[in-house]
Amino acid sequence: MVTREDVENIALLSKLFVPEEELDGLTKSMQEIIDFADTINNAPTDGEDFDDINNLSNVFREDVVVESYDTKEILSNAPEQAEDHFLVRNRE
Amino acid sequence: MGSIEKIHEMLVSKECSCTELTKSYLDEIEKANGELNAYVNVTGDEALKTAEAVDKKIAAGEEIGMLEGVPMTLKDNISTKGIETTCCSKILTGYKPIYNATVWETLAGENAVMLGKTNMDEFAMGSSCETSYFGGAMNPFDSNYVSGGSSGGVASAVGANIAAYGLGSDTGGSIRQPASFCGIVGLKPTYGAVSRYGLIAYASSLDQIGPITKSVEDASIVFDAISKRDERDSTSKGFGGDTYSKLNNDIKGMKIGIAKEYLEGIRDDVKEAVLKAADIYKSMGAEIVYFDLPELKFALPVYYIIACAEASSNLGRYDGIRFGYKTEHYNGTHDMVCRTRSEGFGEEVKRRILLGTYVLSAGYYDAYYKKAQNLRGTIVKAFNNAFEKCDVILAPTVPMTAFEKGHAVSDPIETYLTDICTVPVNIAGLPGVSVPCGFNAKGMPIGMQLIGKSFGEAEILNAAYKYQQAAAENFKDTKWGVKL
Repeated sequence: MVTREDVENIALLSKLFVPEEELDGLTKSMQEIIDFADTINNAPTDGEDFDDINNLSNVFREDVVVESYDTKEILSNAPEQAEDHFLVRNRE
Repeated sequence: MGSIEKIHEMLVSKECSCTELTKSYLDEIEKANGELNAYVNVTGDEALKTAEAVDKKIAAGEEIGMLEGVPMTLKDNISTKGIETTCCSKILTGYKPIYNATVWETLAGENAVMLGKTNMDEFAMGSSCETSYFGGAMNPFDSNYVSGGSSGGVASAVGANIAAYGLGSDTGGSIRQPASFCGIVGLKPTYGAVSRYGLIAYASSLDQIGPITKSVEDASIVFDAISKRDERDSTSKGFGGDTYSKLNNDIKGMKIGIAKEYLEGIRDDVKEAVLKAADIYKSMGAEIVYFDLPELKFALPVYYIIACAEASSNLGRYDGIRFGYKTEHYNGTHDMVCRTRSEGFGEEVKRRILLGTYVLSAGYYDAYYKKAQNLRGTIVKAFNNAFEKCDVILAPTVPMTAFEKGHAVSDPIETYLTDICTVPVNIAGLPGVSVPCGFNAKGMPIGMQLIGKSFGEAEILNAAYKYQQAAAENFKDTKWGVKL
């Protein structure tokens, strides 16, 4: 059962604001999607995860020093920047 | 002969210059885009600059490659250096990547002429292209119908002959479904066949880049060019694409499998068209094998749980600090990030982030995410078993044909159900190609899907090519664009 409090809590974790007037609608649609997701609950579990079957493992490489991007280039997309840094103000 | 070879011959024989050809594509975009909304950003100046370079090479008597000078397009989630790449989201407006995606680096290196970036569902989340911040791309067969999604813009542009081919991305059907709706060919390669470096991530264990084209030959040529090992995407295998030389192999004795579950809940006209294709294969000497694949019924919920979980993590990077949109008024950093994200993301993206966060949160992780990963293993094994009975699986691409404008927006679950035939391929990491196989009573295209073994692109493209030769009437042109 998805409650209003659940949705408020998940929104906080997701760093999203849900306006009060959208909360009921969103709770309802989340409940519908979760009901749909619940259809897997009765599926048999055979203990073999996807990673085991596909023999997936981490890929490693040597730590080689390569040229990176220019600071100015990287900062070119920042909404605000100052002195070669991303600028984050506490207030507008 | 496909569009790419045809253009290549035209350029080599000097029937027209690359600049002339590019100009006619740009003119046709101008005429069609108001109605189709396929392009969100037309890069005419860059296109003409490349075209000029190709013309110089031809004039100097140099040999040109097959993809050289061929006008094409990229979905707007593929990074293009210095050219705005938005994923059709407000949150990335104004973002100009400082590097190229590997696929674009490869094609640009071959002097591909990029006409512009094409429309898509916001962050590739949708089945109709209508979640795009710029409004949906429309179907070239009838612009009252959607182009499909999420790579709707590429499919609309290719179907309307305002790009010779395009690259899309497919996480749960986003190449194959719009290709099916627009009556063209779409290949979702095996997971690991094509580098995703520079593809803005939706769900990393499912995402793949692939071609959307008018013909099977074109899909094969483009796949061969982009399928290679890339150090910057550690999942890319580098088995190399060598499909083109294997087109037109005899399919006598090929075992084509049909899983009963793929035909359940499918609209009658779609089912009929797919079964008719099976008859055509039979007449070419293939053997049709029927079997059950009951595990398919879990595929859709498994897909939505895994995709949303990965999306909630991947989309955590949009915080208004490093790139894209930032809110104007705020009080404190937390408030700034929350406002930026709430204002920058559309409704469907927020819904999927919330769902993903929910299934990963304490108390629900085991019931949803872990269970889904386990069932993902079950589905992989089911496909492995199926491929002991057959070489290729034949299925519908979508249970229906393109829906009318505005239809998909109303009910999320109903919209999710349209992905039922495409998501199993992503879950199992297999290759799948959608090919047009008929039309409904209103003249809208129907698509069928050929699913192959892991890295079995050559086999499915060959089977698709054989079908294209036998049923050319299903590859219909639209009224739009450049007529080669």
